[in-house]
Amino acid sequence: MPVQFAAKRLGKELSKIQNGLPPGIELVSADDLEEWLLDIRVLDNNPLYLNETYRLKFRFSQSYPIEPPEVVFVKQADRPIPVHPHIYSNGIICLDLLGQQGWSPVQSVESVCMSLQSMLTGNTKNERPAGDEDFVRANKLRPKDIEFYYHDNSV
Amino acid sequence: MEVFSDEALNVTDSTDWLNTPLACLMPVEQAFRCHVCKDFYDSPMLTSCSHTFCSLCIRRCLSVDSKCPLCRATDQESKLRGNWALREAVEAFTKSRKALLEFAKVPPTVVAAPPDQNGSSSPPKRKATEMDGAKQEDQDIKRPRRSNRSTKTRAAQLTAAILEEEEDTNTTPSADADQDYVDQPPDDGLVACPICLTRMKVQQVDRHIDTSCPGSPEAAAALAAKRPTPQPIFPSLNSRLGQNAQTQNQKPPERLPALAYSMLRDTALRKKLSELGLSTHGSRQLLEKRHKEWITLWNANCDSSRPKKRSELLRDLDEWERTVGNPGASRIGMGMAMGGGMGVGQGPMARAQAAGAEIKDKEFDGKAWATKYGGSFGDLIKQARKGIKKQNLDGDEGNKKGEDGKEGGEKSSSPAELPTSQAREGEGESSSAAPPTPMEIVPPSSPPRPEQDEQQQTPGKARLLTEDTAMSGQVVPGTPEKGQWKTSSQQPPIAGDA
Repeated sequence: MPVQFAAKRLGKELSKIQNGLPPGIELVSADDLEEWLLDIRVLDNNPLYLNETYRLKFRFSQSYPIEPPEVVFVKQADRPIPVHPHIYSNGIICLDLLGQQGWSPVQSVESVCMSLQSMLTGNTKNERPAGDEDFVRANKLRPKDIEFYYHDNSV
Repeated sequence: MEVFSDEALNVTDSTDWLNTPLACLMPVEQAFRCHVCKDFYDSPMLTSCSHTFCSLCIRRCLSVDSKCPLCRATDQESKLRGNWALREAVEAFTKSRKALLEFAKVPPTVVAAPPDQNGSSSPPKRKATEMDGAKQEDQDIKRPRRSNRSTKTRAAQLTAAILEEEEDTNTTPSADADQDYVDQPPDDGLVACPICLTRMKVQQVDRHIDTSCPGSPEAAAALAAKRPTPQPIFPSLNSRLGQNAQTQNQKPPERLPALAYSMLRDTALRKKLSELGLSTHGSRQLLEKRHKEWITLWNANCDSSRPKKRSELLRDLDEWERTVGNPGASRIGMGMAMGGGMGVGQGPMARAQAAGAEIKDKEFDGKAWATKYGGSFGDLIKQARKGIKKQNLDGDEGNKKGEDGKEGGEKSSSPAELPTSQAREGEGESSSAAPPTPMEIVPPSSPPRPEQDEQQQTPGKARLLTEDTAMSGQVVPGTPEKGQWKTSSQQPPIAGDA
């Protein structure tokens, strides 16, 4: 049942996505129910993100949607990592929505993309998070493990 | 992924209605779908905050964190109440969905039929469709006129129309079947049997022709007149209620209470599990999770209008056990570990055992394990190499541990690959369970004892360190592995919630 739980839910999301996504969000690939790639663009004229497209990687566990997906930006030649005080230069995103505490099963791939879109849209600071270099150099953990520690500390 | 192809074929979604003439049904269908599983509500339950979810969905959510997924209001499983009106609505909708969708996707034949009013002489099949078409036309003509009338007469007319419709849904093919067809809305989603013209669902036609088709419309009418209780096209509300009441009477559902696991000793918990007829095998954490899952499945089943058999539920639990239920395989496990169960009353032995089980697990997160303990592995290998030259140290514990370790690693043919060769998420356990198991195998050429002794030390330190860094951000000074551990378990600088 839990296998079907995640697979069914993702199947539904996928069929919905294939029927259309909000402007500025595009599905790049969804070959299985474990890892999906999507592109997002910021739609307003925010100079920080003008004319750039960013690639997002979603990874789903068996417990999705009870558990949040792992969402990171991936860097490619034409897909930079957006500059944002909550996005590390290795693509890891510090967003409570994606953590165990902030996640809710009613969220979906689409809603996460839209949240990230609006997170970028609303940003005016041309900076990385504090300690970005150290973190990027030292971090070997996967995003969700970091999130785990992070939320643990913030409690 | 075979699940994918299987599921992808069966996925229905509210967007199915887009690009059909019935696109307006999309929001209707959306309202019938659960926000968690995005499927049609299965035993919909109302929360204290008046949101509705499938019984199983909301019970799962609440057991992970006691909040409504939609509004984050705190809630408890025991406060859930059934939303039976919605259940009936969903049932009715899902029953007619396929036929409706088929109807919406196929261009309606009625439009193509010539509007021949005196169809009494034409063949029966054509007549029915023509009359439908005629009726639609009629309505089209009437509509503007109707809207000009006073609201009172309009309301009266609408009421009459509704009554008529209700009659229609309850009427069955009878002597005046032709009349019925005329009054029936053309989008009832049913098709006429090509032989006797009885209207039915598309998928029923073949069987009907094979078994119960009387051969001609007249014969059908005669048959219907003889039959005191012909099969209704839609089961009436009353009969449905009757069915529900019946099944509920057969199986009075008794919900299981949640347990305060922290108050239960291992033996008491095992007893509870065996009383329920469940396996008592596995670590304490697994026992708790198994019990919790069973309660979730069981209670959700109690809410169902068609409760599954106990054996089916046991199968569901078994499937859960093989996938999500493994210790540390899911975040659920982590949540529980955080809730105070972490390492409580577990000696190093128990932890090593748990680690063995964890690695054997097919869900084992090898990547996480490797990154987490990579530094420690490296150190242990160095120490083991040094240890070859050292005197053998004795340790009864070490021997036992060695056995556990071998047990844990026996799946791997190439020891060096071990940390990455098996996939599994193991965050919660990893911090409490020591990493000795793979290590036992890594230097296969070295004599076992000295390194076992080293190992005895390392897991403890490693655990201390990870826990410390995890909980308070401090690094314990003076530990040999400090450098390694500091990097591998270092936290990101906090950037705050975005």
